[in-house]
Amino acid sequence: MVVARPGGAPSAASSDGEPLIVVDHVGKTYGNGTVALDDISFDVSEGQFVSLVGPSGCGKSTLLRMVAGLGPITVGKILVEGLPPKESRQEKADTAFVFQDANLMPWRNVMGNVELPLELRGVSKGERRAQAMQALETVGLAEVTKSYPRELSGGMRMRVSLARALAAHPHLLLMDEPFGALDEITRQRLNGELLRLCALANWTVVFVTHNVFEAVYLSTRILVMSARPGRIVAEVPVPLPHPRVPEIRTDPEYTRIVGEVVALLGTAAEAHEED
Amino acid sequence: MLRSSGPPILLFILLVVAWQVICKTMNVPRFLLPAPTDVVEAWIENRQSLIGSLISTFVSALIGFGAAIVVGMSIALLMSQSRLIERSIFPYAVLLQTIPIVAVAPLIVIWVGAGMPAVVVIAFLISLFPIITNTAAGLTSTDHNLVAMFELYNASWWQRTVKLKFPAALPYIMTGLRISSGLAVIGAIVGEFIAGIGGMRGGIGYVITQAAAQLKMPYLFAAALTSSLLGIAIFIIVSLVSARFLRHWHESAIRREL
Repeated sequence: MVVARPGGAPSAASSDGEPLIVVDHVGKTYGNGTVALDDISFDVSEGQFVSLVGPSGCGKSTLLRMVAGLGPITVGKILVEGLPPKESRQEKADTAFVFQDANLMPWRNVMGNVELPLELRGVSKGERRAQAMQALETVGLAEVTKSYPRELSGGMRMRVSLARALAAHPHLLLMDEPFGALDEITRQRLNGELLRLCALANWTVVFVTHNVFEAVYLSTRILVMSARPGRIVAEVPVPLPHPRVPEIRTDPEYTRIVGEVVALLGTAAEAHEED
Repeated sequence: MLRSSGPPILLFILLVVAWQVICKTMNVPRFLLPAPTDVVEAWIENRQSLIGSLISTFVSALIGFGAAIVVGMSIALLMSQSRLIERSIFPYAVLLQTIPIVAVAPLIVIWVGAGMPAVVVIAFLISLFPIITNTAAGLTSTDHNLVAMFELYNASWWQRTVKLKFPAALPYIMTGLRISSGLAVIGAIVGEFIAGIGGMRGGIGYVITQAAAQLKMPYLFAAALTSSLLGIAIFIIVSLVSARFLRHWHESAIRREL
């Protein structure tokens, strides 16, 4: 047992079969009139791993941030566990967000960074140290608790970031291009690590990326987006078996799905240029 | 430490020797330029008075500096809360900086009385501005992703301020403190020029005015030297504190090996 969810009663949303996240005809227009997102609708059910794939500037990060309750929604509504995102976040404290860069506080050592979510929640010092230690052991960083972020490699920093998310005991994990800045080898290793943690902690994940290979490897569903305004142009299920092993990358089915997503992205880009 | 302080010390010795040689070989009159040996002699002769004055100046500068830290950071925190507050306050902070302190000093003496109170107020006023501007700049340049993360974990205003904004602003704050620490000493000495009183409680500034009036040049040099030593000491203390706080994470405090 690695991650115990305190007060881990199943959420109301999951028990009556409602999706964990509902995004309903959502649009986002910035103050200067730029339409970032247009008529986005999708659901995410308990235990799913959903990727948002699209070109840069398609508003996928903006969408993810709105699901997290950061930034106002212009039209439509989003429900997370049956509540508007901000309320859900404040009442249930059930969501963790992983940022594009590791987003660590450079003035705190590894332990201090991982403890943060618990500290902000008012967990006692002894308790949060123990939980943070557990999270760090899970990602294999028990040896570097006293190191500072600048002393670590990019991959290790990302693992600290994952440990921080883990320590918060979330139900839902929102990830905004978390491995975008890493080299391919580290990225593939961390993809495997992430899937292992997901199985372990029973996370539901919404994952933003522009890397198609990564999306296919990780996801149960892929939502393909077009740019400006961001729309969902297609939904691609990924029926590859679990647990996913690295060898899957040579599976013909994997290759076929990658090809399909790439083609859809291409079509979306052409349609955009013709506009 | 030794390697970095070696060259300046060597240069210092060379300059002092040259100064001594020039004074002695060219028979420069003592009231124009006393030789280093004369200065040292004057220092030893007046050491009690100088050390007493030094302590007095040090205490005034320290109280003024301390008050400037508390008040300056509070104002900066207030300014960082909203653009409106920042825009309202900032011009007055600039105004405070541009009014020559010598012009308002007599007023301060009338308000708070001559001697240490006036000296402390002048040291405070002169060291306030860099602390306000640097802290305000630091508090408003927090990484927006970290701000978002604190919001996502439902941090309170207090948690955001204490656990995020201030630590993130530390490099800026330390820069402000380093500038202000030197200014506080200058402020105290300027204050003593204007508001100093006799005895040993007048501080170095008062000693300087007295020595100048009586054309006691070696004594004047000894006093000036003492005051600059005080400034250097305070600067070193603040720098050490700064390095202590930033050593693990900020580029300014990290020595890189290539």
